Amino acid sequence: MTDGPLIVQSDKTLLLEVDHDRADACRREIAPFAELERAPEHVHTYRLTPLGLWNARAAGHDAEQVVDVLLEYSRYPVPHALLVDVAETMSRYGRLQLVSHPVHGLVLHALDRAVLEEVLRSKRTAGLVGQRLDGTDVVVHPSERGHLKQVLLKLGWPAEDLAGYVDGEAHAIDLDTTDWHLRPYQEHAVESFFHGGSGVVVLPCGAGKTLVGAGAMARAQTTTLILVTNTVSARQWRDELVRRTSLTEEEIGEYSGARKEIRPVTIATYQVLTTRRKGVYTHLELLDARDWGLIVYDEVHLLPAPIFRMTADMQARRRLGLTATLVREDGREDEVFSLIGPKRFDAPWKDIEAQGYIAPADCVEVRLTLPDRERMLYATAEPEDKYRLAASASGKNRIVEQLVAKHDGEPTLVIGQYLDQLEELGEHLDAPVLTGSTSVPERQRLYDAFRNGEITKLVVSKVANFSIDLPEASVAIQVSGSFGSRQEEAQRLGRLLRPKGDGRTAHFYTVVARDTVDQEFAAHRQRFLAEQGYAYTIVDAEDLVPDTTD
Amino acid sequence: MATFSEHLRSRSDAELVALLERRPDLASPAPSTLMSLAARATSRFSLERALAGVDASVLQVLEAVVALHEVRPAVTPDDVASAVGAPVPDAVAHAETFALLWTDAGALHPSPGLGELLGPYPAGLGPALGAGRPAPPDPATLLADAPPGAREILDALTWGPPVGRLPALTSTGPRAAVDWLVARGLLVPTDAATVILPREIALALRGGRTHREPAVAEPRPTGSTHPPALVEAESARAAQEIVRLVAALVREWELAPAPVLRSGGLGVRELRRLGTRLEVDDAGAALVVELAGAAGLIIDDGAERPSFAPTLEVDDWLDAELPDRWATLATAWLTTTRAPWLVGSRDDRGELRAALDPELVRPWAPRLRRAVLEVLAGQQPGTALDADAVTAVLRWRTPRSVPPPAAVAATLREAGALGLLGAGALAEPGRAVLAAIADDSATTGSPTHRSPADALVATLPAPVDEMLVQGDLTGIVPGRPTRQLAELIERTARVESRGAAVTVRFTAESVRGALDAGHTADDLLAALAAHARGPLPQPLEYLVRDAARRHGRLRVGGALGYVRSEDPALLAGLLEDPALAHLGLTRLAPTVLAAQGTPTALLSALRDRGLAPASETPEGHVVHAGPTVRRVRASTRRRRAAGGVVIPPHAAPSGTRAGTAAETTADRLAALVPAMRRAEETAQAERATRARELAAEPPPSGHARRRPGAPGGDLGTADPVTALATLREAADAGREVWLEIVGPQGTPQGRRVRPVRVDAGRVRAIDTARDAELTVAVHRIARVTPIDPAPAQPAGTRSDAPEADAQNREGTP
Repeated sequence: MTDGPLIVQSDKTLLLEVDHDRADACRREIAPFAELERAPEHVHTYRLTPLGLWNARAAGHDAEQVVDVLLEYSRYPVPHALLVDVAETMSRYGRLQLVSHPVHGLVLHALDRAVLEEVLRSKRTAGLVGQRLDGTDVVVHPSERGHLKQVLLKLGWPAEDLAGYVDGEAHAIDLDTTDWHLRPYQEHAVESFFHGGSGVVVLPCGAGKTLVGAGAMARAQTTTLILVTNTVSARQWRDELVRRTSLTEEEIGEYSGARKEIRPVTIATYQVLTTRRKGVYTHLELLDARDWGLIVYDEVHLLPAPIFRMTADMQARRRLGLTATLVREDGREDEVFSLIGPKRFDAPWKDIEAQGYIAPADCVEVRLTLPDRERMLYATAEPEDKYRLAASASGKNRIVEQLVAKHDGEPTLVIGQYLDQLEELGEHLDAPVLTGSTSVPERQRLYDAFRNGEITKLVVSKVANFSIDLPEASVAIQVSGSFGSRQEEAQRLGRLLRPKGDGRTAHFYTVVARDTVDQEFAAHRQRFLAEQGYAYTIVDAEDLVPDTTD
Repeated sequence: MATFSEHLRSRSDAELVALLERRPDLASPAPSTLMSLAARATSRFSLERALAGVDASVLQVLEAVVALHEVRPAVTPDDVASAVGAPVPDAVAHAETFALLWTDAGALHPSPGLGELLGPYPAGLGPALGAGRPAPPDPATLLADAPPGAREILDALTWGPPVGRLPALTSTGPRAAVDWLVARGLLVPTDAATVILPREIALALRGGRTHREPAVAEPRPTGSTHPPALVEAESARAAQEIVRLVAALVREWELAPAPVLRSGGLGVRELRRLGTRLEVDDAGAALVVELAGAAGLIIDDGAERPSFAPTLEVDDWLDAELPDRWATLATAWLTTTRAPWLVGSRDDRGELRAALDPELVRPWAPRLRRAVLEVLAGQQPGTALDADAVTAVLRWRTPRSVPPPAAVAATLREAGALGLLGAGALAEPGRAVLAAIADDSATTGSPTHRSPADALVATLPAPVDEMLVQGDLTGIVPGRPTRQLAELIERTARVESRGAAVTVRFTAESVRGALDAGHTADDLLAALAAHARGPLPQPLEYLVRDAARRHGRLRVGGALGYVRSEDPALLAGLLEDPALAHLGLTRLAPTVLAAQGTPTALLSALRDRGLAPASETPEGHVVHAGPTVRRVRASTRRRRAAGGVVIPPHAAPSGTRAGTAAETTADRLAALVPAMRRAEETAQAERATRARELAAEPPPSGHARRRPGAPGGDLGTADPVTALATLREAADAGREVWLEIVGPQGTPQGRRVRPVRVDAGRVRAIDTARDAELTVAVHRIARVTPIDPAPAQPAGTRSDAPEADAQNREGTP
């Protein structure tokens, strides 16, 4: 028995004690093959998954290294079955290869004929492959490269993709680093991505994912298609690129509901790509409009299902996914991995906070006891109405007022789900209300005013969940949300994490009605952040005395 | 020439005790005389049993002696060595100790009946030509000018089986070769379609060998070797897990016993449900259930609607420390005749075998488990063997009873699940259990090894008394929790992952469990804080307090009846009325009283007080039924062995009854031998007297009707086992006997015969008076009396009697 920092469980979880002397070394060694599942304060939980092990193989690690790392850092003897399983799993990778054949184009080449027979007999590969060339080779339809890789992954025989990427149309892009530099972890992320070819970079909100995108573009030097969630965020991308790179406004096109520009760097919204008219995706030609060398997916956790299918056809192009939270409420994380690529870079939020790149945040859940009348109403309500009733409890207004008063003068966001509740709060707080129906110019005006400090309070609906850039918001109060969405919670906290000029701590409040589904959903929502190491403090509304000294 | 029974008589006491120890079936029940001992030792059943236990080298020696003793005048150990291909003194000695071979004037003899057990072609050799035949031709010289194909035909038959089918007449080449071989006496036709290679010829072709390769040494299997730390860690992990699972099973069934199928087992659906609850697969659930059954922890309660429920033993078991609990399970597994691995397979009728099905008994299972573990015990420590390797060793150790490979694989799997093995190699606790079982069945009473529980204690990692409690409401015990901590976890949290460490999650429900058990929030927080490293995170504290705040907001109680009225004053009066005190009235609300009396009692009591109550429909009538914990007295008696290990009655290995502490097997056997000898001497003296009397009488005529008890009858034996042994010995020695046969009409008749062969329920014998062959079904033989000494007869005549000559098939069906 060594005194290692790692405990290897037979259910394939790895427990890393972070206070241990060798924890950092161990973390670096296991990161290539183990998925970080939870990163609370004492013990981080990693998990060994086939996907993770295969990604490690793809990145050039072999089973022996993995086993050695486990043996070296493990405190107790490593379960034998687990080691056998690791070796067995990793040996499945690369028995099949996707290669470029000089004559036949894309070819599935087998190093193990039995495996090829097995996968060709599967119903799932039918139609994805073409003519059988010989015992070990079979032609693959280039358009099915992604599908085939996905299917092979599901069959447990992941193919090593050696067919490479098209370079795309060359286009000079440089970072304009006169007054700034990529942070070390951003550079690391860009390198990891580019080395791997395609993949996903996971960074907390506010940690500069846009710059990772820009860095990747500068590294690729090619025409780029950037897919974003909405028009506002498309404009923010454009501004950021203009500011941070050698690109000019003329080189960057916007492809959205309003404008249809195709330029060397084109920013398109998911919405426009998925628009259908008479059952046909009308804007699919955008994908082939230029010989894109790089495709960037912003907020990849929101990638709509049709885009999955389109992406399956674009396996020859480099793909970069960016996200803060690779938790999909639909559980399709695996599809993201197999279609866009494995996770290439990931850092616990708390680590980046510790390096000072994102602001520390204090998360507080305020529990409000409903008055008897509302409790009775709640108890007898139809199940589908319960959340709404609890979430928009009238008592929340008073608490929000107290909280706003407590942080008077600090830029404060009040975030909610229900429009009538938001309107009411807006009146109470005498603050402007920004919702999906607010026009784009009005939105921009409000954002600018908020940014300049002209207004310090803003009531927003779920439009604030994505990519809005509110540099100095330091207090967020959420009164209601999309049920138990973990990623929404993370996105909302992300609004606060941009480093504050004066190193202040951000405050993230959730107001919750006690003993209702509101409380249950809140608990579920908090799980992601709690696992990232954010400890929620829970206070009773009665104890929330306005503290004027703060 | 001596006989087998004479040989036994000549053995020393120590040798006889050794024999009885090694062949326990001979001593139980105790034989009265040495003659009956000899009879039992040569019975088919006993020989079969003894043969089942011999290893390949002994079997080779036995085959060699049986094969050679018909073609050689005397078989010496040297003959055996050259026939087998290597000196085998140990194997010969072993066979002699087991009385499978016996020596007479330096020559080895197979025990009577052994030849029949080894089959018609021992070592693949055909029948001997017989001593009366002219010397067999030397195949080497003859073959020099053999036609094409002859050599190949002989080669095909040389190493057995020695029987060949004649080629069709049309295939001229091979047919000519066979005819040539037959003509030279190298092959003997047995019937119109087959020929056989005679033993002498085959031996000559084999160069005097009976076996190609001497099986002197046990095969050395190669397996993977694991460091001891890994083996012990895996073993400890599995041991903890199996104990936990069995305890969880008991907890499940003490509240809701599982129904018994009509056929006596546990239904598939029930098993699957249990598997889901315990988070194991079907096979795992079956093992847990069977193990609990084998350890006597659960049993069919035999109720009208039978169900499986925990026994009274469960409480002791649950109270015991982990190592003792494990030792009970491990010992039960090693000694049970149940076959858990068959659960889920289909029987001959295609029906699914259910767990706990009474039919699921395989008497050889304990022997198999021991044999498998002993193979592993014989390897270098840390060596893991797969089922094939273990089977290969077992094939050498007990070639006459090779276990099915599937059963070996299942045994290895189960031993792994129990923690007897770790990473496939025998772990120290496994070794200790094996040793304990061996001690238990051995003659010495005192254990010479450390107890299984102690061995497990040594492998368990040091317990950890600390938990890392985190803000996301998870906790991690970085090691094996102490019992106290484990109980705290069990009460307050939900386990998410077990292994070297335990990770748990605290939820409102999990905390509620502890509150239900009567703990307060402060208790719990104090207990958690005592084990936590650093202060408890605020969310956990809040969770516990919040759960406590909500706990008990609803109250539930028991009442048999109630009284309600719109008039609070009236009810208040009832509460104060001493005449109604026996009703146990309590006020729940100003207008409702709960009562501990039934509605009927309430009505009559209130009427007696001159009130006019009315009864209500039973709506709102609450009957509180608390959990009923079930315990059933086990119907079978169990023996409690040292260290709290419960051994079920069928646990005694090798079929012997486990002796009590006072009377050990060794003592009993040692006392048995002189007793047999005394009885034997008495019997012999009697026999001698009778023989003298008999000598005065003329031999009875073959057809004379004889009354039972007539002269000669008393002298012989009516005991079928002894009778058969006498016949076998006579056949071996070529002696004559008096045979008293019961005819088809039930009339006894006596014959003076020379038995030739005793086999398959029949005796083939030559009626010397009439020179006719006689085949008698064993069940018609009423009595056998040896005639001593046999009149001198040329040995050749016995097989010279032509088959067709005067066959008298008396008594055969």
